[in-house]
Amino acid sequence: MDAALSTETTNAKTGLKRVFKAFVDVRELTLIVLIVAIIITMSWLSPYFFSAANFRAVAVGMTPNAIIVIGMAILLASGGFDLSVGSVMALSSTVVAMLLLDGMSIPMATVCGILLGAVAGFSNGILVTALGINPLIATLGTMSITRGIALVLTEGFSLSSLPADFAWIGKASLGGFPMLVLLTLFLVVIFDLAVRHTRFFRQVYFIGANEKAAMLSGIHVNRVRIIAYVLTGMLAALAGVLLASRLMSGTPTAGNGIELQVLAAAVIGGASLRGGEGTILGAFLGVVFVALINNSMTMLAVSIYWQMIVIGGVLVSAVALDMLIRGKKG
Amino acid sequence: MDSRQLKDSNAVRSKSLLSLHGVQKSFGSNAVLKDIDFALNQGEIHALVGENGAGKSTCLSLLYGLHTPSSGDIRRDGETVRILGPSHAQDLGISCVFQELSLAGSLSIAENIFAGRAPSRFGVVDWKALRRRAEALLAEFDLALDVTAPVDSLPISTRQIVEIAKALSLDSKVLLLDEPTSALTPDEVEALFKVLRKLTARGIGIVYVSHHMSEIFAIADRISVLRDGHMISCNATQDTSQTQVVAEMIGSAHPGDVERSIDKLGDVVLAVNNLSQDGHFSDISFQVRKGEILGLAGLLGSRRSEIVRCIAGLTQSDTGSVTLNGQKIAFASLRAAMRAGVGFVPEERKTEGLFLDDPLSANLVSSSMEKHTSFGLLNAKSIRAASDSAIASFSVKTRGPEEKIGALSGGNQQKIMLAKWLERSPDLLIIEEPTKGVDVGAKFQIHTELMRRAAAGMAILVVSSDFPELVSLATNILVIHEGRISGSVAARDATDDLLLQMAAGLPSPTFDQTQSNAEL
Repeated sequence: MDAALSTETTNAKTGLKRVFKAFVDVRELTLIVLIVAIIITMSWLSPYFFSAANFRAVAVGMTPNAIIVIGMAILLASGGFDLSVGSVMALSSTVVAMLLLDGMSIPMATVCGILLGAVAGFSNGILVTALGINPLIATLGTMSITRGIALVLTEGFSLSSLPADFAWIGKASLGGFPMLVLLTLFLVVIFDLAVRHTRFFRQVYFIGANEKAAMLSGIHVNRVRIIAYVLTGMLAALAGVLLASRLMSGTPTAGNGIELQVLAAAVIGGASLRGGEGTILGAFLGVVFVALINNSMTMLAVSIYWQMIVIGGVLVSAVALDMLIRGKKG
Repeated sequence: MDSRQLKDSNAVRSKSLLSLHGVQKSFGSNAVLKDIDFALNQGEIHALVGENGAGKSTCLSLLYGLHTPSSGDIRRDGETVRILGPSHAQDLGISCVFQELSLAGSLSIAENIFAGRAPSRFGVVDWKALRRRAEALLAEFDLALDVTAPVDSLPISTRQIVEIAKALSLDSKVLLLDEPTSALTPDEVEALFKVLRKLTARGIGIVYVSHHMSEIFAIADRISVLRDGHMISCNATQDTSQTQVVAEMIGSAHPGDVERSIDKLGDVVLAVNNLSQDGHFSDISFQVRKGEILGLAGLLGSRRSEIVRCIAGLTQSDTGSVTLNGQKIAFASLRAAMRAGVGFVPEERKTEGLFLDDPLSANLVSSSMEKHTSFGLLNAKSIRAASDSAIASFSVKTRGPEEKIGALSGGNQQKIMLAKWLERSPDLLIIEEPTKGVDVGAKFQIHTELMRRAAAGMAILVVSSDFPELVSLATNILVIHEGRISGSVAARDATDDLLLQMAAGLPSPTFDQTQSNAEL
């Protein structure tokens, strides 16, 4: 739904109610407030938190999730999702590394890596649309297959000693900001605008809200869904290439579990497994929110095991709270 | 009459927009349409009528490209075409409004009207133009809505108009309408007819599928009747009559009204006093007596269903009381209500009433397992006997008790769903939309069975949006409008129009229910 338009509809209500409704309707606002609250609280609790070095580390660390969540949010809005993103990321990082070690040029290897993601996404799309396999099962299968291919190709080892020039994308910075982060922000902004305002991506919401209605309205449902999977695959592969560049190695075990982290962040950001809802900005803020919580707990020396419990709790309470508030609204 | 005759003779001369020629359609070995000829002319409203399963929906599906004919031709402006799908149909100037609302609830009204075709430049949606054009389309219906509001926020009847506006947005030459008025109030129907006449004046042809004879005779230029996949007749409206059309639909003389046994009503079984549920309904009071069939009439969204679901224990009331057989009760769950002697047949047989993948027999005993259990084990013999007797008494068309219920026709499924609850012989049977989407034959059998049970002393509470059904089935009728009782009338004094008037919340003579109960 268009955020700006939906808040307008409440103009008859009193100020306070309006603010409350805006927060319920526009998940982004709630998340921004929460993110600011975390930053303020943490700056007070930990002397190391509010520093350029820490923010830089958090921002760079979350780039794979932030890139992949773009595709995941679009898929969720269309009523689908993709569990194979972590495996695709790993496969593209290893394949790019192999091609580079074989002597292929950096641009060519990068393009090949991303095309590989497109092929993986296309296979997911075909399984889900033409064969009608449930996205959970289909992408669970391709998740395993893709990860397996990455492991078979490398026999489980990471590939390092990549050409030094390849580090440029992952390590360069522009005006003091890491290129990786700038590129990620650029993608988030472009896709957020595209999903809000282009005819093609608006169709995604129709499909997610009511697939049959979308079909009867003359929307090419399967075509749109396949494109959404291809896009997600390409973004996951891009994340893999960038990761390889940052770490200067192709890692077949990279991105293990990232699919669920990204899914959780998207849902915290307002997407729904029922489809038809969510924005890219919301999903991105979900990633930022989760990354900050993880970072805060690390700063406060909370054990990694407790972090898992907290993130799980945040996910469930975000959804539960949303359902309670919306239930009361109707 | 003169003007219509004139218009009709024009229609005969004018060219055919869309036609079927010798069309057959089979699904597997099942022939659904046999040798159909049908033509829609420029500027005419052509009604397509028939019982459920007669082939109307299949005809519409062929015309909209959802299916392709097994043999025969479809012609658009006289040229043979193969319609590949909805978007191809739209390219050919054909648009369709389906009976089931096909809107995306979380998106705005404007976006829904232009689903996937929003005005745009270089692929970027032009929100201003979208808004303006959506408002202009709705203005044809004298509707001034905030088109940026989500469709979810609209009442059902308005959604139906949005659906029609969506079809009009395509600027089509052919409009296919499947039961477009099922959720509309009389005023809205009138507004819709005005728009339809405006469209035909522009030369647009409209295929109008409906069950409402009065509407068809008010709006259609020609009427085609389908039965069992055959085209039975095609007449200009002034050359036929409602009785003739109905006779053609069912292929015999009208089965006539089922005989009503309302000689004597017994003690009060259910008494409801000032029952309220915040935001849904308030101040609901009525009684149902032994042997009475009380109808609850109302349009979609009138909350009649919420009322009976509250009585059945599915939801809880905020204030008021319910008395069953003289005892005050407040059921915490349907299970509790069942133990106290209440049966509840829900509206949606596919999603609420039946286990579609399970056999008929398992469905039949699913709410009366204890009756067929000995020492904790299910008694296959008694289940078999119950199934055989239900199949026989309702003349269910099935290969046997072990057939998957989902493979049966809607009418036969409906009979089993009713039989499932009759198995428990409840004191009070609550039933929603007893004949929704079933054919005339099944309807007749269901009505007969309900009346037989009432005559044997069962109290029955029927919710229905099919007013003629209530008039012929019920003893007394309560009308609900926006969560309140807007009138009550003895069925013998009721007419469709009177009920519709009350259901739409218009002032009307009300009858004191207790008084009419006493009279009977």
